[in-house]
Amino acid sequence: MSVSVLKLNGLPFQLRGLGARLYSTRKGEVSSSDPQKDIIRRHLYPPNIRNKASPTGTWRPDVARALQRAIPSVQAHETIERAWLLHQRHLRKKRDAELQRKFNCMRQAMQELEEIDSRLFREANKQEDPRARSLAEVEAMKSMSEPEKRAVESRVRGLFPRELRIPTDTPPKNGWPNEWRAFQRPLA
Amino acid sequence: MLALRRVQPWAVGFAQRSATKQVALASTAVDTDGSHSQSSGEPVAPQKHQSRAIRTRRPRISLQHPREWNRPLAFGVLPAFDEALKVIKEDSMALKDEVTALEGAIAREKETPQPDQHALRVMEDRLRILEVQSEINFPQVRWKCANGMADMSKAVDRHLLEQRWRKEGALDLLMERIHQMKVVPDVLPDIHPSLDLRVNFPKVKSDAGLQATVSKTVYERVEPGVFLLPEQTVEPPKIYTTVFHPEERLYTLLMIDPDFPDETNKTFQTYLHWLQPNIPLSSVSPSSVPNLNTHTAYIPPHPQRGTNYHRYTILLLPQHSRLSIHMVAKDKRTGFDVRTFMEKHGLDKNVGGGVHMWREVWSEGVPAVYKEILKTAEPKFGRMPKADRYGDFRGKKRYV
Repeated sequence: MSVSVLKLNGLPFQLRGLGARLYSTRKGEVSSSDPQKDIIRRHLYPPNIRNKASPTGTWRPDVARALQRAIPSVQAHETIERAWLLHQRHLRKKRDAELQRKFNCMRQAMQELEEIDSRLFREANKQEDPRARSLAEVEAMKSMSEPEKRAVESRVRGLFPRELRIPTDTPPKNGWPNEWRAFQRPLA
Repeated sequence: MLALRRVQPWAVGFAQRSATKQVALASTAVDTDGSHSQSSGEPVAPQKHQSRAIRTRRPRISLQHPREWNRPLAFGVLPAFDEALKVIKEDSMALKDEVTALEGAIAREKETPQPDQHALRVMEDRLRILEVQSEINFPQVRWKCANGMADMSKAVDRHLLEQRWRKEGALDLLMERIHQMKVVPDVLPDIHPSLDLRVNFPKVKSDAGLQATVSKTVYERVEPGVFLLPEQTVEPPKIYTTVFHPEERLYTLLMIDPDFPDETNKTFQTYLHWLQPNIPLSSVSPSSVPNLNTHTAYIPPHPQRGTNYHRYTILLLPQHSRLSIHMVAKDKRTGFDVRTFMEKHGLDKNVGGGVHMWREVWSEGVPAVYKEILKTAEPKFGRMPKADRYGDFRGKKRYV
């Protein structure tokens, strides 16, 4: 039957089983010659050859054989799975240990700073407000256009850079923007 | 990902994955009684178009028919598998070095004049975990445990068997039956089994005719909660255990019937069928438990005619030390209180133990138990006759 697999949902219910065959059409007989006869035939003799998986997957007779080919040994599969999880666990532990070491170093450094110089310690502990604008910035913003003002407000230190290009599989259609220059945010 | 190569799906193909699920309820220890502990599926008949059938019958591997482990795939067939084995081997060697270092540390700590008990306990716990982790990823170890050839003196095999009992359905089924049949609130407030207790009774040959015929030699595993015939339970069962602690501990076996009718109080009471204290069990002791009928003799279940089904419960409770318990006479078995018994002898249900239960209903085999073993008259229960409302008016003329 010349039915497209892609239009499965548009097919009538009786034909939704993938590749449902009808024995009521003879071999080689193209069924699309008279759609009316087709419809009548389909309703008189619905497809009843059940050797493919059911449409919603409640019965899948082909799965066991496919799995046997794909996974030649259950034991090997489980061994590989365990080894991979073990490897990931090692990486995770290493990363966590390194992070812990860095944190401890930082904490030790701050403790020593507190003992040495309390003013610097307080400065080091100050939280930075990323949206705070310095005096120089406020002065510069007075002479800026609207788009430029918006650009300054949105580019916050530490936030994701807006101009970052997302890596693509293929280069851009319009070539490389060689004249592009980064917007300089006026800093203190 | 797995390299898709044309490999003959021989050795341990699809069959093993389904087989491990099927063997969940069977023990991996030896049940030397001819019981069919391994379920075997029939091989699928080859379809007309395929040349080879999917093998569904489990290969016959056990302690009686041992087989050596072989690599499931030869070297080079699946590079991921070879890499996996290398990773596992490296990890195991690193862990084994840690184990030797920790053992040295523990020995040194024990030699000090005042060993720190808390630190020692922490180190010993860690040692046990490391010992298991160093071997648990090896395919040969897992294969042996999955095929009934576990060595119970090794911590890793014990751990694997315990995980299998707990996670693959056997314990869940037991607890489901225990809770659904309300054994847990009725007999004990709660129980958390720590050992796998299996009960085998003779197989029924035929239940046609007045009395069912029961095999004399073939004993079959009893699924918790199923109905058995009183003819099957005349002789004491064969008890098998899988215990997960290497040291020897003492247990008390109790078999009780919480549904024994109490006529005077028009309610039910507990009947003690069997009691055997001081049973030594450890993971290296044989799984078949002997000498169980030397204390309080086994009285077979005798559900009375007219009562509903009776739940017969076997408890295996851990003891702290050797107990001396008086034998309970045959006529003093009613009115047994499990809770006070446990409190009196210091049997703590929170430490673990084993439990099993089945159900029985009156059948033609019960009168024989009353006649031969209990030597009392068989009671028959039923409803009280209703008072006749119109007794005064019967026989009298109604329309005068």
